[in-house]
Amino acid sequence: MSAGTNPPVVRFAVEHRTSYRYSQPMADGYTVAYLLPRDTPQQRVITAEVAVDPAPDEREELADHFGNRVLRMGIHAAHDHLEVTARSLVDVMAPPPVPATSVPWDDRGGAHPAGGRDAIAVDPFLAHTATTPALPLLAELTAPVFVAGRPLVDVVRALSSLIHREFQFDNEFTDVSTPLDVVVAERRGVCQDFAHLAIACLRSRGVAARYVSGYLETAPAPGQPKLTGSDASHAWCSAWVPGTGWLDLDPTNDQVPPQRHITVAWGRDYFDVTPVRGVVVGPVATQTLHVGVDVRAVVGTSTGVSETR
Amino acid sequence: MERIIVTDHYRPPIGGYDEAIAPDGTVRPTWSGLAGMLGADHLGELLERRRQADRILDAEGAGHLVHDLVLDDGVRRVATAESRPWRLDPIPIVLDHAEFEVIAKAVEQRARLVNVLLADVYGEQRLLRERVMPAALLYSLPAMRTTAPAPIGTWAVHLAVDVVRTGSGAWRVVQQIADAPSGLGYAVMNRAVTARVMPEVAGAHRVAPIVGALDTLRAALAAQASSVHRNPRTVVLSGGPSHPSYVEQSYLALHMGFHLVEGGDLVVRQGRVWLRALDGLEPVDVIYRRVEDRHLDPLSSDTRLGIGTPALDWAAQRGLVSVANAVGASLTDGNALDDVLADACRLLLGEPIALDALGAREVLGTTPALTAGGTLEATPVVLRFHAIVESDRCTVVPGATGRVLAAGDPPVAPTSRSSKDVWVVGAPATVLSARRRAPQPQVDLGTSVPRRAAEALYWVGRSAERAEFAARAVRTIGSQCDLDPTLQTLAGGQWASGAVAVLRSVRSLPPVADEPAAGAGSAAPIHHQVAVELRGAERALVDQLGTLVVEATSVREFLSTTTGRVLGRLARVQAEMAAVTAAAPAAATTATVGTTATDADALDAVLVDLAALAGLATESTVRGPAWRFLDLGRRLERALVVLGTVEAGLGAATDPIAFQPLAECVLSVNESLVAYRRRYRSDVVIDAVLDLLVGDDGNPRGLAFQLDRLREHVASLVWREGDDLVHRASLGAMQTTDHAAVLGRRPSVDALVIATRGPLLELADAVVRSWFSAPANPMMIGRR
Repeated sequence: MSAGTNPPVVRFAVEHRTSYRYSQPMADGYTVAYLLPRDTPQQRVITAEVAVDPAPDEREELADHFGNRVLRMGIHAAHDHLEVTARSLVDVMAPPPVPATSVPWDDRGGAHPAGGRDAIAVDPFLAHTATTPALPLLAELTAPVFVAGRPLVDVVRALSSLIHREFQFDNEFTDVSTPLDVVVAERRGVCQDFAHLAIACLRSRGVAARYVSGYLETAPAPGQPKLTGSDASHAWCSAWVPGTGWLDLDPTNDQVPPQRHITVAWGRDYFDVTPVRGVVVGPVATQTLHVGVDVRAVVGTSTGVSETR
Repeated sequence: MERIIVTDHYRPPIGGYDEAIAPDGTVRPTWSGLAGMLGADHLGELLERRRQADRILDAEGAGHLVHDLVLDDGVRRVATAESRPWRLDPIPIVLDHAEFEVIAKAVEQRARLVNVLLADVYGEQRLLRERVMPAALLYSLPAMRTTAPAPIGTWAVHLAVDVVRTGSGAWRVVQQIADAPSGLGYAVMNRAVTARVMPEVAGAHRVAPIVGALDTLRAALAAQASSVHRNPRTVVLSGGPSHPSYVEQSYLALHMGFHLVEGGDLVVRQGRVWLRALDGLEPVDVIYRRVEDRHLDPLSSDTRLGIGTPALDWAAQRGLVSVANAVGASLTDGNALDDVLADACRLLLGEPIALDALGAREVLGTTPALTAGGTLEATPVVLRFHAIVESDRCTVVPGATGRVLAAGDPPVAPTSRSSKDVWVVGAPATVLSARRRAPQPQVDLGTSVPRRAAEALYWVGRSAERAEFAARAVRTIGSQCDLDPTLQTLAGGQWASGAVAVLRSVRSLPPVADEPAAGAGSAAPIHHQVAVELRGAERALVDQLGTLVVEATSVREFLSTTTGRVLGRLARVQAEMAAVTAAAPAAATTATVGTTATDADALDAVLVDLAALAGLATESTVRGPAWRFLDLGRRLERALVVLGTVEAGLGAATDPIAFQPLAECVLSVNESLVAYRRRYRSDVVIDAVLDLLVGDDGNPRGLAFQLDRLREHVASLVWREGDDLVHRASLGAMQTTDHAAVLGRRPSVDALVIATRGPLLELADAVVRSWFSAPANPMMIGRR
């Protein structure tokens, strides 16, 4: 499963459907969606659209501080359901090879380069948030990883492996409000939890790390195993390696860099880039939620971006 | 200069800085007018002045339990036991104008700094680029938004700055508050109180007035409206009666002439903010928010649902509404940025910061403060000043609120409830001239009524009437029992059965319990049930008074000032009665059956206060939609009370010997006994009783009178469904003259009650459904 076996560019068709049903009709509904993928050095968005049923009375797209595409929608007529379907075609290039070595993780000068650009693009991702706290017990957990003088790229690989090895994927155990210390104590969680864990570990050692929200291929290429987290939106993280740039790691699948991942948005944590969140106003009611994600490589488009445009 | 040596009764610590006493033990010249009061022989006088201050604050509503109201099942508010009144120490803090200038300069600078700092971190981010502020610090603040807020005009229109004097006499900044700063209303309120309790001292000192601050704030808010709206509609967004500074929010709304609204009163559609008013949605241009950043918009932050307004951020960012202070303004609050503020000031304003932050180990200066025990104590006090920013101009209010620190209190969050007025004296005459109120075109607050306010007024009317009925029923039946204990067994318990039915109707219960009342036992004699039901009615009275006070408190701006005083008294009486009824032994075991837990005098006092409330509603409230819903609630409830008592007391056929006291009881509960005696001068007969209580449209306590008023109200609302229901109730109230008994009941009475009460209960439902049913139960939709 090395980068060399992948075609240089794969085109993915993504469909991400989020359906809510309410037991009573709602008068007003407000939804914020981080569902439109952004361009990155490794991916180009060919088409992206979000269809909403019922049709929203107001709709606005804007960019957040980190350059993510944010969609805001308001429905102001009685409605007992909401279906948000995001469809996109994204060309994903194979990630460049990870350099053999890099600055040591504990090289302060390297990890905190002076200069305007990085203060804006990188430094915000040094901030601990409520979801990615600097827990004292993380130091103990990651002591074998953060060895003095070790190159940061090796640290990132070792951290990914450590989380993959020590933690069990369990989508019954946690929800979006489960705090990180519970995840660490119980050694289980889902991809969002593992991304938050990796981020908290990196930031507490002074390494900038961001949360990445996106997708995995649902049906893998022949001969390749189906990856964990492919039936829903996925999450991983990205570490800033001075001299190299952002290096993605997917601790859920222990991939550095991840293969065939489609990036939608990034932020400090899940709450900066929640795929769909909203508030409805109406009578007291209950709701049911269904989420379905379908990601497929489009056959015959693996010859590169230049020929498909 | 006269030098006054203070007695042993006030001794500031040696080596520290005291506001009143100089190191040589003499009173500082600025305090000369107060010197006399600090002597031992004046302590009693100070205590009396404090009591007077308490009474005045009470009348403003600041003296009762509004601080600790919680939401019961998320629908109606209930009062909790603890009351957290605002208290004022009558001894002010006197600052010389030169001293004030030092502070004002720093406060004004903080206001400018906060505004440019917020504009920078949400915009250009020079502070980050030049590494004056670490991005890791900024982005770790929970207040930091990642979808940039973009205010129209000014980021922080109103900034509060807390300062203290250190033991060496220097001023230090404790914190600045841009996130819904409180205290300006209390400052104005305190000044009104000190002017009354210390008139001779205030007069002698030529104190700089601060009442103009409200006009300044008003003008600054109007200036925030985007220029396309020449007639900006401004609202004060309140956290509701459960918010700790609700009293002040209500006070400010009232005195600036703005609607006081809660999050659920507003709805965001098409990028605009709308007020849910009785006549539909009305656009809002400026929101003076007293709700904290994190609670403003449940879409943007993980707040408790029900306080904020979903999508308020969207509207603010589109620029069609101006939120003051801007969404995201909480960023500079507290002390998180203390380390970088001085550098930020140098970079963004090009000047050194005027006052330093208070150091962790700095000793605080003292001020004479009156303790609860009535002695004078040298205590540190935190002074809260206010800056109001209007376009390029910044006004620092020449006065402040002092918060007395209790032992061990951190200066950022005093726990003590004692406050002080802060006087600035010796100002040049130009400062003293109050700003003239500029004419402000506003909406007609008499006709524009938020739905929530109309609903609260409706429940004020209903609960006041129900409380009055409860009090009268307990008072009448309790005293009938006390005066004539034989009544209870009269005619085989016929009087007692009727009395039980009347008392049960207080709680809208059927005349006879299906199950024996708790504690009474299955074989409990009927007169024990009277005692049980008296207790039940007393508890209902306590509940209704609680509802009344809470609902009325949430719409104080619609009620007259005197109403506040009456509500304060009712709140106190309610708390006392709640304690008494809770402590009363179970009724069935008491020796003196029939005696009420609450004494008759207390019930009479409640009745007088309720009468005062009713009188104020009639005589001191301008007729308009607000009053109409208040009166509609009252009339509807009174009609139901008449029907309930008629059914309970007159529905059963009784021996004449029991009928007499029972009918008198029904008349008395409906406040019609005197009218009856004056008119008929005879024994009580059923036809005449029903005529007076049901048919006589001249009896303001009778059913016909209530139906007439209801008819007027629904007609004025141009409300077809209401018209029909009142008409049906009126048809039901047409009585037959034959009140003969059949099988122990009077069918004519039962028919009258059923035919009239049905449409009235439907009307009660229809009022809520048609006029108040704001779909205001926000629900977070699921994630992941």
